[in-house]
Amino acid sequence: MANLNREIQELLADYGVALRDGCLPAFLKSLTREEARAIRESDDFWAATEMVRLMNSAGFGDKVVAPDVGLFISRVDAAIVSRQKRASASTRSPSRNRVNL
Amino acid sequence: MDKRLRNALKGLTSPDAESRRRAMEPFVRATFNIFIRHLYRYLGNEVECEDVLEDVYADIWENPDHLRDIANDAHLLRTVYLYYMRKRLREVYRRMNRNLALSQADLENLVAPEMGLHDLTEQAELKQLLHRMLGKLKARERKAIEMWMQGMSNRAIANQLKTTVGAVKMLEFRTILKLRRMMKDYSDEED
Repeated sequence: MANLNREIQELLADYGVALRDGCLPAFLKSLTREEARAIRESDDFWAATEMVRLMNSAGFGDKVVAPDVGLFISRVDAAIVSRQKRASASTRSPSRNRVNL
Repeated sequence: MDKRLRNALKGLTSPDAESRRRAMEPFVRATFNIFIRHLYRYLGNEVECEDVLEDVYADIWENPDHLRDIANDAHLLRTVYLYYMRKRLREVYRRMNRNLALSQADLENLVAPEMGLHDLTEQAELKQLLHRMLGKLKARERKAIEMWMQGMSNRAIANQLKTTVGAVKMLEFRTILKLRRMMKDYSDEED
């Protein structure tokens, strides 16, 4: 039967394209057991992924600029408020909510 | 380090949660572009970068201890990556792991690796460096990488180079390893 597993250079190329196009989960899901093993055993693959990340950053990193940081700040603030509420709810005395039976 | 950022860091490490919350706005304004570009290296997806970064800032608010005694911008980025971003990057894919052939350790190394070569190099400097390295490659190798960096598919690159997709993938793999060796030699010379 033909071996349908991708070679290490194909895996690297597919990883690079997935990272560049922002669809890494699709690449991760596409890996077979054999391919995962090939990745684990290949030092070249790991060395190359490091370079691919740098190329991705140099080539496309500039396109990630938030049009409105103010909007993002309100998201962060909302996340903080939600954590504050969660923290105060968990430290509240449980006796207050206890139902008398 | 920028004075605004230094003041924000001082506020962020305050024991009072409200003071930390107030310090968050100037901190986000001063660091957003640096952090999101760094995250983009690992995710390649703007929306996911923003989601992860939102959690990273909230984590910093909750537990800012690692940000005491930050000496400069590179130290800040390194600390935030190692103590806050990596944890969140790992969580992005943790849910998926049940259905993946990759082991948990390999998955983590792929999506949230240790800091490597030139990971703290600024964007403009990195671009310049890469441009210089590309100039040292053979014409065909350089063309393949430049087309990849313009966002072209491997099939389109193969058409341009009048070869097969398989040959393009092999060419890219070899060239990327060559570039990495060049980068490593460059950093060794710098040291």
